[in-house]
Amino acid sequence: MRAVPLPRFLSSVKLGYLNVVNHLLAFPIIPVMVAVLLQVLELGPDELIAHWRSLGIDTIHALCTIFTVVVVATAYFMSRPRPVYLVDHACFRPPRTFRVPFATFFEHASLVPFFDEKSVRFQVRILESSGLGEETCLPLANRYIPPCPSTEAACAEARLVIFSAIDELIAKTGLKPRDVDILVVNCSLFSPTPSLSAMIVNKYKMRSNIMSFNLSGMGCSAGLISIDLARSLLQAHPNSYALVVSTEIITPNFYAGNQRSMLLPNCLFRMGAAAVLLSNSRREEDRAKYRLLHVVRTHEGADDRAYRCVYEEEDGEGNSGINLSKELMTVAAEALRANITAVGSLVLPVTEQLRFLASLVARRLLGARGGKPYIPDFKRAFEHLCIHAGGRAVIDELQRSLGLPAALVEASRMTLHRFGNTSSSSLWYELAYIEAKGRMRRGDRVWMIGFGSGFKCNSAVWRCLRAPKAPVDGPWSDCIHRYPVHVPEMVKLL
Amino acid sequence: MELLWMIATVLFLYSSLSFLWKAFDCRRNQNCYLLDYVCYKPSDDRKLSTELCSDVIKRNKRLSMPDYKFLLKVVVNSGISEETYGPRSIIEGREESPTLDDCDDEVDDCMYSTLDKLFHRTGISPGDVDVLVVNISMFAPAPSLTSTIVNRYKMREDVKTFNLSGMGCSASPIAIDLVNNVFETRKRTLAVVITSESIAPNWYCGTDKSMMLGNCLFRSGGCSFMLTNDPSLKHRAKMRLKCLVRAHSGANDDAYSCAMQKEDTDGRVGFHLSKSLPKVAVRAFTENLQTLAPKVLPVGELALYVIRGLRHRLRRSKETKAYAGKAVRVNFKSGVEHFCLHTGGAAVIDAVGSALGLNKYDVEPARMTLHRWGNTSASSLWYVLGYMEAKKRLRRKDRVLMLSFGAGFKCNSCLWEVLRDLEDGGAWEDCIQAYPPQSLVNPFMNKFGWVSEA
Repeated sequence: MRAVPLPRFLSSVKLGYLNVVNHLLAFPIIPVMVAVLLQVLELGPDELIAHWRSLGIDTIHALCTIFTVVVVATAYFMSRPRPVYLVDHACFRPPRTFRVPFATFFEHASLVPFFDEKSVRFQVRILESSGLGEETCLPLANRYIPPCPSTEAACAEARLVIFSAIDELIAKTGLKPRDVDILVVNCSLFSPTPSLSAMIVNKYKMRSNIMSFNLSGMGCSAGLISIDLARSLLQAHPNSYALVVSTEIITPNFYAGNQRSMLLPNCLFRMGAAAVLLSNSRREEDRAKYRLLHVVRTHEGADDRAYRCVYEEEDGEGNSGINLSKELMTVAAEALRANITAVGSLVLPVTEQLRFLASLVARRLLGARGGKPYIPDFKRAFEHLCIHAGGRAVIDELQRSLGLPAALVEASRMTLHRFGNTSSSSLWYELAYIEAKGRMRRGDRVWMIGFGSGFKCNSAVWRCLRAPKAPVDGPWSDCIHRYPVHVPEMVKLL
Repeated sequence: MELLWMIATVLFLYSSLSFLWKAFDCRRNQNCYLLDYVCYKPSDDRKLSTELCSDVIKRNKRLSMPDYKFLLKVVVNSGISEETYGPRSIIEGREESPTLDDCDDEVDDCMYSTLDKLFHRTGISPGDVDVLVVNISMFAPAPSLTSTIVNRYKMREDVKTFNLSGMGCSASPIAIDLVNNVFETRKRTLAVVITSESIAPNWYCGTDKSMMLGNCLFRSGGCSFMLTNDPSLKHRAKMRLKCLVRAHSGANDDAYSCAMQKEDTDGRVGFHLSKSLPKVAVRAFTENLQTLAPKVLPVGELALYVIRGLRHRLRRSKETKAYAGKAVRVNFKSGVEHFCLHTGGAAVIDAVGSALGLNKYDVEPARMTLHRWGNTSASSLWYVLGYMEAKKRLRRKDRVLMLSFGAGFKCNSCLWEVLRDLEDGGAWEDCIQAYPPQSLVNPFMNKFGWVSEA
């Protein structure tokens, strides 16, 4: 019934090929229509009228034909997939009281009874070269000595971050909670019952026929999975509004052991949340900021190495935490390559695609003699890039492998510096950075890349419909004037 | 010139016809078919008899004698048999400190055994799956359970995975809703859904009565099912989805907090079931029925309901005492032949059955499922369906209504149309002959019956 999975080399051109095939029948029609038009234009008005009369069409026939054409055209346009607009987005702005400068982090790590001295030094060394700044935030429960990761504290953090982001979105858009038809929430490492989506329905008194979904465990790329789900739902329901909330709740995930590969999340993950309003209503076309062009998801979980590279498990002493394997960078690069290939065939200009295909074929046939792999020039397809701010190493690696200039990865680096790794919501902080800097123009294309446990790499492509007017109100409004900052390789603390 | 006119006309006709074909094709793809489903049957060494339950309760040294009696009373009167299953960690005495491996093993065993059977029975390979949904409410590790399945079965790179969590006992219709919506945007798509619950990490070790009920009623279970919108697979499908209704009463504070995972006064996490749960359930249920009834019932029945309602109002305004409290009932059996009710508990089944005007025959599948499998949370509906199928009740063109309740507070329902006569024994194969049993009374009533007194 279904085709055998293609070798990766072939599947990488499959999407582009399919695009051509889908519109194959349109190709011969165009020259024919052009020929007809030219013929018609050659004739003078008298000859045209004579031809028309010779056809013997009376009024009724003419009216029926016009009517049929109008009906078919209307039905055709109505059957096309509805566009998905991003009306606006808002991010959680952590209050200053939640800030954890390096010195505070070091002091806290030294005072809690779990860590031995080696672990404390290791965490500080990670922090020093992490690319994080001094203003990133941790929830209160993690600041206690020892931390108290109770369900109640986790719910309190969830309420704080999520409701702040949604309140700000409501203020920006004038959204009435009862108008929300679809609600998708993603939070990877905290999933109470009732779900966080039920918590939002309760707080904002949303309608009883709301389509709510709560995704969990899906990692740092889950923000784009939620967008994908919201898009599917919007395409099935006309004139609807979808509220997508992406967050990561830090409270229950403090690792209280000494295994190095599991200490990294303590150092990098920080509080954050984002709320996004999507709609497919034609009314919103006038004020929507972006339009969603593509969402491409890639799942590398079939490969054991990829599956295990970000893994929740217990250490030798029974403390649970997220284990990040040493192969993370390699796996991320491979997942990214697979995803980019799929995205490339949708967004790259034809010349770039052909060059990429030629290079692929050459390498396949001639091996290493076929030349270096051609890296498509993605700058020709996008004006802005938002890469998940997973860590400095990840951003460095992506910049190197894609040949990106520093300006394109600036949003990611600065978000990592100011907010830390906020998991699935980091992409929205980066978009807010680009807007706050006044760099977004109408017609610009934005490429968001998220990756996370699974191992998944997901992309979304947006087109800007309306550039936000400066000054932009958002999580960067109090500090954008200080950015960009130079992030040193190492900030010496000890 | 005439030739060109003719060509233009032909092209116009061609484009109209291709558009009409496209419209027709879209309609064909809008159906959601259930290809098959497999209910989980754990191994016999995981059976939780009442005696074993009593031992587990006794292990909790924090409980006093009245607490012990209360719990045993709940177990004995629950309508649950000696054949239900629990997680290994509880049976082996590790209920207070389950490891992550215990939780993984419990869930993996359910997912793998049902999926292996599902792929084998349908003859469809895991590489053909386009959409994968897992819903397990109270356990969401990283990477997600969907990633675990993708890894185990080596699924494709472009498989769309969704891991739903925290959505309670009514999550099965939610997962179906998700898949149905994805089907509207893609042709010839195959989806696999796994629904289950995780008991091992959620055993309550405290003394709060409202949180101990979960310990007594929840049992291990799960189901994997395959859905598709491919019309070429219709001849192999068991049922077709006709409509789905979701009602979320979370806006009401009582409803939101009536079934909630939280800490007790000693800081132990448990699943709290409040006393207002029945009232909240009724409200959510009514809300769901108000939307469901017009979609499910024939026009005649709806018209009769309106007429009866008007007559009732007129009579009530004249003779208030005689008609006070007597509600006008809708006969759901005019639009539905079989009812899959969520096996939340004996009281829940009886209440819902009475509200829908069902008799003993209609609620028998739900009661028997509660007896044989306990409350398996979101997957209970599929065990009830399995009972009906094993009893050869499901005939072509019959309509099956699935109705479930869960934390949030949600009441979700979906109506299926049976496409062919179904006769699979499934998980009930080895015991269906013994059902319905002579008596549902717990055999340990004699030994533990003293708990019901005093």
